[in-house]
Formats: sequence, structure tokens, C-alpha cells
Amino acid sequence: MSIVSFLLIIFTSLFFTGIVIRTKSIFSGRKGPGFFQPLKDIRRLFRKGAVYSKTTSFIFQIAPSIYFASVLMAIFMVPFGNQPGIISFQGDFIFFAYALALGKFFIIISALDTGSSFEGMGASREALYSLLVEPAFFILMGSFALLTGHTSFYEIFGSLHFGSYISYGEGTLAAIVLVFIALIENSRMPVDDPKTHLELTMVHEVMILDNSGFDLGLILYSTNLKFAMYGALIANFFLTPGYEWYYSLPIFIGVQIVFAVIVGTVESFMARFRMNHNPQYIFMLTSISLLIFIGVLILKKFV
Amino acid sequence: MTVILLAIFAVTLIYLGVANRLSSYISVLAVQGVILFGVAFIELIEINWVNLVFILLETIVFKTIAIPYFLKYIIERNKITRDSEPFLPDFISIVIVTAIIIASFLLSNAIEDPHLGKIFFVASLSALFTGLYIIVTRRKIITHVMGFLVIENGVFVLSLAVGNEMPMLVNIGILLDIFASVFLLGIFANKIGDIMKEQDVEQLSNLKD
Repeated sequence: MSIVSFLLIIFTSLFFTGIVIRTKSIFSGRKGPGFFQPLKDIRRLFRKGAVYSKTTSFIFQIAPSIYFASVLMAIFMVPFGNQPGIISFQGDFIFFAYALALGKFFIIISALDTGSSFEGMGASREALYSLLVEPAFFILMGSFALLTGHTSFYEIFGSLHFGSYISYGEGTLAAIVLVFIALIENSRMPVDDPKTHLELTMVHEVMILDNSGFDLGLILYSTNLKFAMYGALIANFFLTPGYEWYYSLPIFIGVQIVFAVIVGTVESFMARFRMNHNPQYIFMLTSISLLIFIGVLILKKFV
Repeated sequence: MTVILLAIFAVTLIYLGVANRLSSYISVLAVQGVILFGVAFIELIEINWVNLVFILLETIVFKTIAIPYFLKYIIERNKITRDSEPFLPDFISIVIVTAIIIASFLLSNAIEDPHLGKIFFVASLSALFTGLYIIVTRRKIITHVMGFLVIENGVFVLSLAVGNEMPMLVNIGILLDIFASVFLLGIFANKIGDIMKEQDVEQLSNLKD
């Protein structure tokens, strides 16, 4: 029973978007909004009431809460180096993926519930992209389960043999794939532009057009939480084994900051892809994780 | 270490499947040259220095610097458009390249030979077939040359796979092969560019004597 990873993820989620926005404004030479501006926005939204359209049903009203709860549920399972998450059991990475998928499913049907044609289009894109991301995540986690012989996040990360260059190499490749997965799952730059103003080109933003007030605040804060959660997963590949928190804590914070800076850099220097280029880009992640899988097969002398 | 380098080599092959600008093809070829140098340097660490210098010349000087520079020169001189113009959509390309890698993995698995480095064999076979695939599905002559260079890289990895000794003669043969092919195809592309302005392979079938 360990609450440390949960607390750390909540803590880093407060700063994550701020770092991304600061990076973007530094690269574009602007003064930019303050470090805590995203948090202030969310706090302002939390103090407002929500407005519901008359064409929507109860699904539209419960969906943001379920989305937020599913992200929190997934965070419960993320370990911190040698310490398990709040919930930890055999095969919890499958539950992790499907808890996130449940939240996404509710956001999708709530977008369909509004009856707007734009939102249905965004929902279909979002469904396609998360469908394409899923095999990459499962092949990645499956190959690490094969490498270590364990089937829960905590045991996999606890028993990765650090110190040998092979596991560092595999960990680096996996971290790269996870960065891309996080960018796609959070609808960030190469796949989706959070700052776009045209409904036709939106993916995630168009789905939450009708949400307002408290619900919108929940959805925005879930994005921060998801970023910090994936950052924690990435950091787990580099944490030292054992309980030396004075090594683990700086590595964790450092990986989160580097991840946020990478997100900001990608958003500053890359244009978004054309819509029809996105599926092949996401499929590339599956191919790379297949390579990791083949590498694990060769390393473990299964073939 | 070689496992990681060859995995990165395979990642560059996957990237070739989706890249749609000629400049990214050229940079992928240059990166492959660096990776091949790394692999050869680690594998052939105990050979004499003459051979080592030769491999350095072949991978770094030729594959990484000279050939990409020459290809860039051809593209600029002939004003070739920067798209690679494949016949098939990119999504199918990447699925096929992934299938090629898996198939070569299964094939190398079926071969039981103690002298064969398995990971080398996987990387080289997939580079060979990916090169062939690029040649078949791209429309321009210059991309055919690039596909041929990918095949050459595959052959280079294969020669590392069959054992630690790579005789000088094989080296010279590979070097001459690359040099002649790129040089001749460059001249060929230049001449066609002078006469026909467009470098579409489709138009070559209209030629009559």
C-alpha cells in the first residue's frame, strides 16, 4: 500500500501544462501567460455552473465525471519504482488501459448525445486514433511482461534489470513510444492541435464544444492528470531499483520536466499532420513496439 | 549494443515506408550509414587497422557523406519535385513493411544455422525486401536509386551476419558497386532530366526507337 506515486502524480499535474505553455512562449519569443495560468483557468471553471442543452440526455451530464474518475482510477495503478500503486494486482496494466478506454467511451457517446454533426465527426476520429494506439500499448507492456516474467506494473518495473545496457536500450525505445502514445491520447500536436479554431480540423476539442463550466474544468484537468500519469509511466523506466528516494524523486521530477519540455518543443516546431496521414503515423508506433517485442524474444532466447 | 543499433536500423526502414519527402529519404540513408558504421565497428573490433579504415571509408565517407550529397545535387540540378509519389497509400506501405520485418523474423527463425547471427539476418533480410518494395512502388527514378541503396545496406549487414571475417575483396566489390550504381544512375537521371523534364517512370514506357 503506497500513496506516494498518487501524490506525486497529482503534484506534477499542477505544473505540467504550465511548463508546456512556458516552453512554447519561450520558443516563439513571446512573454506568454504566467506559469499558473492553466490552473487559474481551471479554478475559474470549477466555480461556474454548467449549462446543458435541451437535446441532451443524462449521459451528457454524467460523462465528464466518469471521464475524470476513470483517469483517477488509472492513476491509482501507476507504481513509483519499487513501491506499488494504491491498487496493484496481476494484469493490472490491462485494467489500466481499459479504465482509460471506459472514460473515453463515455466522452465519445456524450459527444454523440449532443446531436451536433461536428461532434460526431470528432468522436469518430478520436475513436479511430485510440483504437490504433491500443495495440502499440499492449505489445509494449506485453513484451516487458515477457522480459521480466511478471504481469503487473509494480512487478514489471520493480524487476527490470537496470544496469545492463540492453534494458536501458529497451527502456529508451519504450519511453519514446510512450511519449508518442501520450501525445496521441492527450490529442496534442502532431495528431491534433489544441489551439485550432476550425471545427472541421479538430479532434478532441470539437467533442467538448458543448461542455461548459464545471464539466469543462473536469475535462481540462483530466488532460493535465493524464499527462502527468504517462510521465510517471515513462519515469518508471528510469527509476533506480530499491527504496533510495533521494535518487528516485529527482529522477521522477526530472523526467516529468523533460517530458513537458519535449511536448512544448514538438508543439513549437512541428506542423500538425494532414488528417489522412494520422493513421499511418499512429500505426508506426505499433511497428516500433513490434520491434521491441522481437528484441525481447531474441534476448530471452525464446527463438 | 548491436541489438539496439540493428533495432534502430529497422526503425529507419519503417520510417522509409511512411516518409513522403525526398529529403527525408536522403537523411534516412545518411543515418543508416552511421548505424552501419557503429555495427561494423563493434563487430569487427579485432581486425587489422587497414580493414577498419576501409570500413570507415565505406560507411562514413561514402554512405553518410558522399552519396547523400550527390543525391541532393541531382535533385537540385534536375528540379525534381520533393514528393516521393508512391503508387500505394502510405498506410498500406507501413503495414507491408511491418509484415516484411515479421516475415523475415519468422524466416530467419526457421533457419537453424549456428554460424548465423539471427538479429543480423532479420535486419538484412528486411532491408533487402524493403528496398525492393520501395523500388516497385515509387514513381521516380531517383527513389529507385534510393531503394537500391537500401538493398546495398542490407547486403552490408548480411556480410556482417555470416561471420567476423569480411575480406578486403568483398569490401572493394561493395564499394565499387555502390559507386558505379549511384554514379551511373545519377548520369542517367541527369540525361533524362535534360531531355524529358519529368522523371516519371510511367513515361518511359512511351519511348519508341
